[in-house]
Amino acid sequence: MLAYDPSAYPLNQNEWSFPVCEVFHIVSFAIAISTVAMVDLRLLGLAFTSQPASKIWKDTAPWTLVGLVIVLISGPLIFFSDPVMYTYNLSFRFKMGALLLAILFNYTIQRKVALSDSSGALAKLTAVLSLGLWVSVVAGGLFIAFV
Amino acid sequence: MLLTFAQWIQFTDFFTYVRSSTFFYPIVLSLHMCGIAMFGGMILLGDMRMLGMGMTRFKVSDFLDQLKTPKRYALLLMVTMGAILAGSKAEEYYYNTFFRVKMALLLGVALHGLVFRSLYARAAAWDEARVIPSQAKLAAALSLLLWTGLVIAGRGIGYIEPPLDKIHARLEQGISYFR
Repeated sequence: MLAYDPSAYPLNQNEWSFPVCEVFHIVSFAIAISTVAMVDLRLLGLAFTSQPASKIWKDTAPWTLVGLVIVLISGPLIFFSDPVMYTYNLSFRFKMGALLLAILFNYTIQRKVALSDSSGALAKLTAVLSLGLWVSVVAGGLFIAFV
Repeated sequence: MLLTFAQWIQFTDFFTYVRSSTFFYPIVLSLHMCGIAMFGGMILLGDMRMLGMGMTRFKVSDFLDQLKTPKRYALLLMVTMGAILAGSKAEEYYYNTFFRVKMALLLGVALHGLVFRSLYARAAAWDEARVIPSQAKLAAALSLLLWTGLVIAGRGIGYIEPPLDKIHARLEQGISYFR
């Protein structure tokens, strides 16, 4: 059924390699989501009000990218420690859907709205949607252990 | 004495409900994690800015100042959710080494805030200075260590087996594939 045996997988050999991988996952998603949240807070007019949203976007963009890259490396590493369980886990599937939407949303609509320095209803809606998507990703990840 | 308190608090109505409800505990934990996700990076970036290692287009005092309010709300969220989590499994956490480490680190964070209070109040002076004073860099580095330690300890809590023979209450909806 599987092309390899998960018990022989490197991340399952050692008791602590899985938690270490998770810590990288948590720290990197904290970096990625917080920088997105900083842009969102600016779009909502709650922080950095003296600076244009485009500046916030441009300055946080490298950090968001670094965070996402490490997330997308540590994530699959964790997945392959128990691929069958994760594949069939409804919360994991939800998380992957939300993650795809969140990343796409961030680099299309949010990017456009931030770089155009718009304020008003559209900017606020974008920010709320963005925050909602990323919260769904985090919650989805957490509920993996509870469904 | 702490053990008796832990045993008492976990059997109060509210915390018994938290333990026995299917969704309450995971939702509280999700909010706790969302607090970390939203604001952990802000703490990290604030410290990186103080160390001069990132976000250098912002003025230090401006950057710290703008994030002060979100950080405070986030801290409130995280501590409240953390208290709800801890209260529901108080006895189990009493025996958990990582939980104790985490509490010690939280105390460290509080001390850090007190000790460096006057330093942060003088943040505006750093904008004019060519180099950020080494005391500020020390504060930033300590903050980074404390918060990273908190994340690691927090994650580690879930990896210690509870002493089943000693505790009197467990989360009723456990991890599905262990049930």
